[in-house]
Amino acid sequence: MKRVFIIFLFSLLFIASVVTIKNSYKEGRETALVYGTEVTEIPELLHEAALFSRSHLALDYKDMPVDPSKERNLDSYYKNRAFHGAPPSIPHVISDERNMGGKNCLSCHQNGGFVQKFDAYAPVVPHPEKINCRQCHVPQNEKNLFKPTEFPKLSAPNIHNKALISSPPVIPHQLQLHENCLACHAGPSAPMEIRVSHPERVNCRQCHALNNKETLDIGDFTR
Amino acid sequence: MFTKRVTPRREFLKKMAIMAAVSTATAMFPGILFAEEQERNLPKGSGDMEWKKAPCRFCGVGCGVLVGISEGKAVAVKGDPKSPVNKGLCCVKGYHSVMSMYGKDRLRHPLVKRNGRYEKTTMKEALDLIASKMKETIKDHGKDSVSIYGSGQWTIPDGYVASKLFKGCIGTNNVEANARLCMASAVTGFLTTFGSDEPMGCYEDIDHADVFILWGNNMAEMHPVLFSRLLDQRLKRGVKIIDFATRTTRTSAAADKSILFNPQTDLAVANSICYEIIKNGWVNHSFVEKHCNFNTGKTDIGYGLEDGFKFKDKGTPSSLKAFEKFLEDYAPEKVEKMSGVSAKDIKYMAALYGDPNKKIMSLWCMGMNQHTRGTWINNLVYNIHLLTGKISTPGNSPFSLTGQPSACGTVREVGTLTHKLPHGVVMNKKHREFAAKIWDVPVENIPAKPSNHTVEMFRALDSGDIKFMWIQVTNPMVTMPKLNRYRDATKKEGRFIVVSDIYPTPTTDIADVILPSAMWIEREGMYGNSERRTQYFEQMVQPPGEAMSDTWQLVEVAKRLGFEKQFYYKEETHIEEIYNEYRRHHEGKKHNMAPLEVLKAQPGAQWPYVDGKSTQWRFNAKYDPACTKEGFDFYGKKDGRAIIWERPYEPAPEEPDAEYPFWLNTGRVIEHWHSGSMTRRIPVLHRAVPKAYVELNPGDAKKMGVKNGDKIRLTSRRGTIVLDASVDERGIPTPGQVFVPFFDESLLINELTLDAYCPISKQPDYKKCAVKVEKV
Repeated sequence: MKRVFIIFLFSLLFIASVVTIKNSYKEGRETALVYGTEVTEIPELLHEAALFSRSHLALDYKDMPVDPSKERNLDSYYKNRAFHGAPPSIPHVISDERNMGGKNCLSCHQNGGFVQKFDAYAPVVPHPEKINCRQCHVPQNEKNLFKPTEFPKLSAPNIHNKALISSPPVIPHQLQLHENCLACHAGPSAPMEIRVSHPERVNCRQCHALNNKETLDIGDFTR
Repeated sequence: MFTKRVTPRREFLKKMAIMAAVSTATAMFPGILFAEEQERNLPKGSGDMEWKKAPCRFCGVGCGVLVGISEGKAVAVKGDPKSPVNKGLCCVKGYHSVMSMYGKDRLRHPLVKRNGRYEKTTMKEALDLIASKMKETIKDHGKDSVSIYGSGQWTIPDGYVASKLFKGCIGTNNVEANARLCMASAVTGFLTTFGSDEPMGCYEDIDHADVFILWGNNMAEMHPVLFSRLLDQRLKRGVKIIDFATRTTRTSAAADKSILFNPQTDLAVANSICYEIIKNGWVNHSFVEKHCNFNTGKTDIGYGLEDGFKFKDKGTPSSLKAFEKFLEDYAPEKVEKMSGVSAKDIKYMAALYGDPNKKIMSLWCMGMNQHTRGTWINNLVYNIHLLTGKISTPGNSPFSLTGQPSACGTVREVGTLTHKLPHGVVMNKKHREFAAKIWDVPVENIPAKPSNHTVEMFRALDSGDIKFMWIQVTNPMVTMPKLNRYRDATKKEGRFIVVSDIYPTPTTDIADVILPSAMWIEREGMYGNSERRTQYFEQMVQPPGEAMSDTWQLVEVAKRLGFEKQFYYKEETHIEEIYNEYRRHHEGKKHNMAPLEVLKAQPGAQWPYVDGKSTQWRFNAKYDPACTKEGFDFYGKKDGRAIIWERPYEPAPEEPDAEYPFWLNTGRVIEHWHSGSMTRRIPVLHRAVPKAYVELNPGDAKKMGVKNGDKIRLTSRRGTIVLDASVDERGIPTPGQVFVPFFDESLLINELTLDAYCPISKQPDYKKCAVKVEKV
């Protein structure tokens, strides 16, 4: 009798544990759906995010040889954009229409340098983490226009903008998506007029300040 | 050995030098102050540009953009970093959007057709003519002989005054918009399943989900900014992207897995996924028991090919058991053969949906909506999310994307469809009374019966039941299916067509009066995007010539028709007055719209906007103040339960046969937007893709001896066209299928497409018809 009772007790315990496990498993499956649901603040595009991301290459930039006959210049730089600050279009033939940046565009445009195929220095992309390149950059397959345009293209700001003869020039352009200075201003891929003579001093904004209305204008200051 | 020891040391020194440089630099960061002081004496560089916020003009994503204004012209664009939609990023169309206002051939003055020639006239004269023509037509042929055909690019005030004038004042339900061709199936999908339109989730779901399944949606090209958010999440969190499509695209290239299916078989695959979910015990029973009902609908429902086709769906209650029984035909092994999707892949997708530890987002747009069973396939994807309870929580989100900036804001919310009112439907007496009260019109004015949906409206123009049509912000002579028939209809004797647009298009070619419109930031207005976000934009530049906003064109005509009392708005403040009046229709926790001050101050707000807060996830008591129950409350339905529908696979109306052996699929490219009337006038975009082409499967091309650039003739039962072949370029259709973009007004692919539509949503299917493919 005692034995039967113990067996009964154990089987009861067993059933109870099976039920408990089943229930907690079921519950777990539902709660699993809603983990980590806290609503986060909207992270803004950080103007400072990529500031130093290429600085480990700074010393290399300093020593890179430049072939003056293949250099890019500001004129071609601006010609390739609909307006100052617009995403540049792709001036060369594209081998693969479907591939994403990681496998394709970035092979030349991540670090720049001379590309034999196009006999030119490849510009460096300041935002290599955005790999759907052709979301913003499109080729130009046709010379003619569908209809003429009257879009008022403003001339780009003057780069000779030192306040004093001895002072460092200011940054005349927007930083959004171009916060990485060295991508466009250092190494042989940089347009010659805006290539910096001292890429190793990687904290560019120590000396070069932003000068565009959006970030600086507070109207006439009154006390 | 020796050299091997040197290299690391050199590396080490280099690294030390860099680190020293960086750390010194960072420590000296305050130095920036000196620089700022130095430049105090500087003349302002590009400084006189002013940046103003607006939603983008193009797709339904609704990116926040900042427009650079200089000397009264819009000269630059960048992404608004404060916008929670795009966080500062745009696509190539957005960046160049302002250029769409500056095409040299902008319409600057009204044109009236007299003796077959267009004559320049004044705005006053043109509006007088329109009003008198409308009066005359109504007098001779009745109220239902006049109609308005607008668009998902209408601003909210445009659509609102159109609806008020036609439904409330004139008294006809002949109000439609091109969104019927674009997202009507999404609407009926939402209504049949949840009883309340528009997504429960929002874009922030992207930041929470672990898996993304794209149902026939080439997001990399069509919703690129959102797709970049997906790619960004993959970099940060290793999420998975599955591209389920009929065509290999950039999206497939970027996805973790590309699964191809035969056209129309998405219905079977979706059912097969449900079959697997039930078979493997992945059903979230407590969710289904508490929050879902089962329904069967009608089957063999037709395709709307006959003029005057009528259909009314009816659901009859069913059960999980019956649902299981219904799914027996959809075992993966059975579906495999018909769909071309391996049973393994079906099981794989089902396992992703079924895994309780994975949060999952389904995304779709035209692939599912432009479908002769569009409502059904929408229902079926909801079925999957409902069975697994993966809905209305952050990251668990079936999400229907839209293609136009205000398809949601103007067409769905304002209700510029024949059966809709701003709040509710015309069939409901209470809804009519409510609208009539706010509109200040007798309730008898609003007819209780819907009249013509878009396809039927153009058929009525053909038959002569409709004599007058006013077309605003859309280009139906490029975008209507079976175009030849409907173009001929507009040219018939006794039809009067008014077209409001910004450039000459194939649609202005058929107009009797052409009105020049002020577009986007040339006037004031609001758009509503896919995630229920309403966004405001101010007028930033002057419209050219006599160009006038669509809103004010309608108000002027309404006054001339004798409705001064209802159209009391003052010219300087009319947008604000109209918006405030419109908000009254949506009062209440379920659909409250944010006040205008809020929209002006921030990059949009999401309805329901309750107690000063946007609602990100509807139907979930944790986030949605309109819920009256704990947990989930699908309050669109009376009992708070969403419906799981039995919807079978049914074939497409016109499938390839011996004579017409290929499927024809149509769509867009990233550079061009819709009929191309704006984007083709942007040099960068036109030069990227100057004309339409036909994509062939490389295997088919080889068999036919076709190379890239060869001329190809496509012929359907309705029309024929010659295009350049594109083989193994941007997209690869599955074997036996061709793809043609529709933006090119000189190569009109819609002359070939079929005007069959989903009998429930009345949305045509542009993705499937049969064609012959010949090398020329």
